[in-house]
Amino acid sequence: MAEAVTNYKGPKQYHYLYPELGTGPVSVHPYISKEYYQLEKEFVFKKVWLYACRAEQLQEPGSYLVVDLDVCQTSILLVRDHQNKIRAYHNMCSHRGNKMAYDKSGKTDNLTCGFHGWTYGLDGQLNFVPDEDNYFDIDKSELGLSPVHVDIWEGFVFINVDPSPKESLTEYLGELGKGLTGYPFNKLSGKCHRFETIVNANWKLVKDAFQEVCHTPYQHRRSLPDAYRNSENPHTRLIDIGISGHHGRASLFGNMQHIPSPVASQAYNHGATIVSAALGEQKAPEMEAVGINPTDSPDWSYELNVFFPAFFIACARGSYFAHQFLPLDVDRTLWQSMICYPEPESNAEVFSQEYSRVMFRDIMCEDGRQIEETQSLLNSGAKTHFHLKDEEILIRQSLFEGDKMIKANGGKL
Amino acid sequence: MPLPEKFSELEPWIDWALPTMRERSDRRASSNMEELQSFYQALLPHLGDILEYMAEVPTNDNQEHNRDLLNLAKSLAEVAPAVELFQEPIISNGYDVRRFSSDNE
Repeated sequence: MAEAVTNYKGPKQYHYLYPELGTGPVSVHPYISKEYYQLEKEFVFKKVWLYACRAEQLQEPGSYLVVDLDVCQTSILLVRDHQNKIRAYHNMCSHRGNKMAYDKSGKTDNLTCGFHGWTYGLDGQLNFVPDEDNYFDIDKSELGLSPVHVDIWEGFVFINVDPSPKESLTEYLGELGKGLTGYPFNKLSGKCHRFETIVNANWKLVKDAFQEVCHTPYQHRRSLPDAYRNSENPHTRLIDIGISGHHGRASLFGNMQHIPSPVASQAYNHGATIVSAALGEQKAPEMEAVGINPTDSPDWSYELNVFFPAFFIACARGSYFAHQFLPLDVDRTLWQSMICYPEPESNAEVFSQEYSRVMFRDIMCEDGRQIEETQSLLNSGAKTHFHLKDEEILIRQSLFEGDKMIKANGGKL
Repeated sequence: MPLPEKFSELEPWIDWALPTMRERSDRRASSNMEELQSFYQALLPHLGDILEYMAEVPTNDNQEHNRDLLNLAKSLAEVAPAVELFQEPIISNGYDVRRFSSDNE
């Protein structure tokens, strides 16, 4: 057990643990450069495990889901086969390359291309070609759908478009993934409330807004006036920050004396809310995972997990939320979010989740504007660097990891 | 009888019983602060009773009066941050809420 860090006003304490990251200003180049974005596409996004969906979204054999991955220049077709196994394919017909499934999701017994009727089994095998005799020497056994590596961790389905991934999903998620084993993701994914928007900003700028919480007293001064800080911790310092393999994590401080608003407190009687994450039993089942509140701080509210490159999960008692930041271009990002709860049993629980869903969305509105405004100025050249503080170390680590991975995979910076 | 009988006092607010998040957030955005305050102040004193009642209503209950009550309560959830925290209908200097697509409920 690591020793709890309880000094929320003390000096810098994290960067010295990771001297390879340095402490200097970081260039804005990776946020605006088209060339850098090309390197990220080729040598990061096409090489790593990316979150695709929750396993519950593929409920029964034949359920399918389409994940368009512009950043990997493909579309992925995920399907649950008759053996209950989740499979992933490039969403593309072997005949003349048409997109197999246009709909975002659905249920089917076999996968038929709408162009000329080539029909594949859920196992990806080409089973039927209309007017087959009119083709020349086609071998159906060689013309199945192109598979994509897929694996599942705690109900989160990940895909990797690299034909030979360097690491398994378990290896890739590493200690951070292991530490969350036991957190009740399946139970808490009974009801996932999803949001999606296209932000006019580089994907890292969107992600950075969630890799630190020291903007809370300013950007969220109205939505979160005191839930995550108090007079002992006025700057929303984190309890603890760690870097683990490709990824970063942090334990978020909660103000145990926070008094919820009238509606929030009534909502809290029927389920966790995003502003009451600090409340609740220290011994809740969520707390049993070793990666949750690893320093055993009495002030713990959320465990933030930033999976490189673009997936984020924040775990609390009774609820978790997640973000994915998928690049569409150097300055455009598909931002997908979900706030997740157990399946509600009564309408009172539905109300409680609704309050949290609204708060979650409103807090994202506070973030979204800043992200776009910053991006709109980055090309001015007026500011060529960002000046990160100690609490912003995960932003520095992400940039460092990006450069490192590009180089390791053969890209030239 | 659009609302359960014990909440008949809230009938004047029935047009806030909107079935989707988009409709509820549009209604919040197009209202002024006085309207949001009046709705909030009319609903809040009943919220305890509403939740006590709804705690006994399973989510698959499709009776119209129970659905309306839930949708009315969801509008209170939508309006609450505007009244309790932002003190304005929409978040000025914020991202346009309509740019977020959400589940249709």
